[in-house]
Amino acid sequence: MKKDRELIQEFQNGDEEAFNELVRRYLDLVHGFFQKITNDEMEAEDLAQNVFIKLFKSLKRFRFESEFNTYLYRVNANTANTYFKRNKWRNILHLDQTDEPSYVDNQQDREWKKEELWNAISKLPKKQRLVVMMRISEMLPFKDIGNILHMSEGTAKVNFHHGVKRIKVLLGIVE
Amino acid sequence: MNFESKIRQTISDSDRTIDKEQFINNLTEARYKQKLKRSQAISGILAICLIIIVGIASYFELDQGAIYSGGNFYFSDSNISNSDFDEYNLNNDYYIDDLAIYIIEEEDDIWTAFSFLDEIEYDNFINYMEEES
Repeated sequence: MKKDRELIQEFQNGDEEAFNELVRRYLDLVHGFFQKITNDEMEAEDLAQNVFIKLFKSLKRFRFESEFNTYLYRVNANTANTYFKRNKWRNILHLDQTDEPSYVDNQQDREWKKEELWNAISKLPKKQRLVVMMRISEMLPFKDIGNILHMSEGTAKVNFHHGVKRIKVLLGIVE
Repeated sequence: MNFESKIRQTISDSDRTIDKEQFINNLTEARYKQKLKRSQAISGILAICLIIIVGIASYFELDQGAIYSGGNFYFSDSNISNSDFDEYNLNNDYYIDDLAIYIIEEEDDIWTAFSFLDEIEYDNFINYMEEES
């Protein structure tokens, strides 16, 4: 099995099949990431397509300064961020129609819908949003998140902490 | 269960598989469509530039001289210079002289010629005739 680096080099030499192999290798990761965010099969596929189109253009100039994985997560994060910006107004309108967070039995076991969670995440400031997104959907360590988002591990942790705190407030969870 | 685990659990049930080959086909099609759109946009911009350049060139060409088209020469108004206009006036003087001589010869009464020249306010000829007489 060829390494990512070899496939990228082959692609840079004009072999489009090498790019397709990269798509096969990383499609589940990219698609899964956007499916968690959007909760919509079609939208997730569109966003995944955008990511791979961006990669098709940018990989020709890729200089292997970072791991391909890290680079891919960065493209994912930027695309997700654009998605949240684009849907800002739609999310606001959608929130108007969303029910209040529902109680199950007591305050500790309060459950909420996935849409409510992502609506809350979409309201976070950009850095907090990206860190929370990478952490909860990809379960990445803070060190990797820092690498992907060009920040230190400590900054990633602080952003995550503030982000989670804000989400709790938005979801109406009182500690 | 802490809050982080709980939100992970909330989103974890969304993993579904996707047909990779179908996705690659769609991706290839989308890339070609984008490429086509870009080349169409570039062609459009080039066509607009060409039209502007031809338009500007035509304007300056018309402004500077005659254009031969369909067996005829076409001039713009700005081609008639002051010197041409003077020549036109000079020719016009000769024409009035000839006309005056014709009237004098044809009419028995010279005053008819005078009244005509007076009518068109042709002072030069009247002065000349007065000096002669």
